[in-house]
Amino acid sequence: MRGILLRGGVFVLLAGFILLPLAQTFVLSFMSTLPREGMVEGQWSLINYRNIAADPALVASIGNSMIYVSLNVALCIGAGLPAAYALSRYRFVGDRHFLFLLLAFRVTPPVVLSLPIFILFANAGLVNTPVGIALVHCLFNLPIAIWILESFISAVPREFDETAFLDGHSLPSFLLRHLIPAIAPGIGVTAFFCFIFSWVEVVFARILTVTGGKPITMAINALFSFQTDIGLVMAMTVVSLIPGVGLIWFVRNHIARGFTIRA
Amino acid sequence: MRPYRNAAWWMMMPAAAVMAFVGVVPLVAVFNYALHDIFSLQDVHWVGVEWYEEIVTSTRFHASLGRSLLFSAVILAVQVPLGVGIALLLRGMGRGAVLILMLVALPLVVPWNMIGMMWLGLINPETGMVGQALAAAGIGFDWKFTALHTWILLVVMDTWHWLGLVVILAYAGLSGISGDFYRAAAIDGASRVAVFRHIELPRIAGPLGIVLLLRFVDSFMIYTEAFAINAGGPDMATHFLAIDLGEEIKGFSYGSAAARSMVYFLIVITVVWAFVRISGLSRQEERG
Repeated sequence: MRGILLRGGVFVLLAGFILLPLAQTFVLSFMSTLPREGMVEGQWSLINYRNIAADPALVASIGNSMIYVSLNVALCIGAGLPAAYALSRYRFVGDRHFLFLLLAFRVTPPVVLSLPIFILFANAGLVNTPVGIALVHCLFNLPIAIWILESFISAVPREFDETAFLDGHSLPSFLLRHLIPAIAPGIGVTAFFCFIFSWVEVVFARILTVTGGKPITMAINALFSFQTDIGLVMAMTVVSLIPGVGLIWFVRNHIARGFTIRA
Repeated sequence: MRPYRNAAWWMMMPAAAVMAFVGVVPLVAVFNYALHDIFSLQDVHWVGVEWYEEIVTSTRFHASLGRSLLFSAVILAVQVPLGVGIALLLRGMGRGAVLILMLVALPLVVPWNMIGMMWLGLINPETGMVGQALAAAGIGFDWKFTALHTWILLVVMDTWHWLGLVVILAYAGLSGISGDFYRAAAIDGASRVAVFRHIELPRIAGPLGIVLLLRFVDSFMIYTEAFAINAGGPDMATHFLAIDLGEEIKGFSYGSAAARSMVYFLIVITVVWAFVRISGLSRQEERG
């Protein structure tokens, strides 16, 4: 009995701690925070959300973010799946070094590489496009994708592959028709982590969008001025949380799987 | 045992090509910049290791390094025990555990440049919920000018942000333990501490290793959130390594910034290498 009470108490405290900043943001997003005609400051209103819908730059930024994050997830799974399969099933020259390289780049702070990445991407014509950001976010997401996928693939017995190959499947057809369905939760968890790390990143997203293709994070930064409409900023923040919260719901039963690391 | 087949490299090609383009090439470029004095892209002079000498001998670098190490130490000391504790409480809760995992995962999806702003709004003495509560209780929370308060705010904010990752990974390790182990331990009359030490800890050591590494690196190189709170102040008290680097890039001092990047990279890579040596050896024994 005491154990249950203790546990309940801890979780209530935890929920309060986690939800408090979010609650404040949520409440402010439904308030008019600037003096407006016919409205008192602090009045409940949907004006902030209407203002978002009316501002093409804000709407476009939501689209930009969605595009590069989806591209990044596709790239990470597309490039990561064959690599994870190879690492899970075979040993080969330099496999351990490759894993160490992945780990090294996963932990390299973005700000360390920001300067040459900007010059390299400017020369390759990848500045101001979602493709550039999607590509550069692979720096930290591809290692994560490979780790998670590798641990899910390793949980599938090798006989599974052999049966499919005996049935006459080629490698690409095996990966697509058999392996992907067998590790579907793993694909979901990978997509989730790639999505959130790409969605919340700001250093690369800032330097690679000089004039156009601004993501949602930079659009929010641009809202700060001499007289900032805090309500609008908070409403935009709430909007920026929606895809992530949706994904959490989507992978909720598998979120705590697929983390073993080999290096 | 996995068969030895070098042809497997063909499957590694897409991933290797992407990593080379976004990782290896820029890293080589940084190494090259660091050996030059760069006024503009046309006006570049070879200076050898002068930048490195200047950085590693400057007292400012030593002070920032000390602050970053202290910050990482505090972050790990707070978040790892807290996260593991919560994960232990979640064990065997079934559906309820999923609910708590979803809850703690929420801060992970908040864009990083919003986090500082949300917390500043929260502790604002006039409009923030916590700020008002503190003011009503007569506690003066002066994060702008009192170094200790800025530190408290940063640690609490970072814990809010990243606790979920620790809980999720620790829970991932724990949920793989079969109930037989606990029953056997109960029959042997093992204490709670002994159960943790000999059954639970070995199972969460792997995921916990990732957590330690990620939390160390991210807190060691904290930039966006720390800058948003107080821009390194008050009086340099939260001036961490990454803020030094940010200032140099903003000041167009590219050669020096590149050398500083290399120094940071070497520190991080040394830690990762040491980590892999230690954990890799224990894993070899486990695999046989």
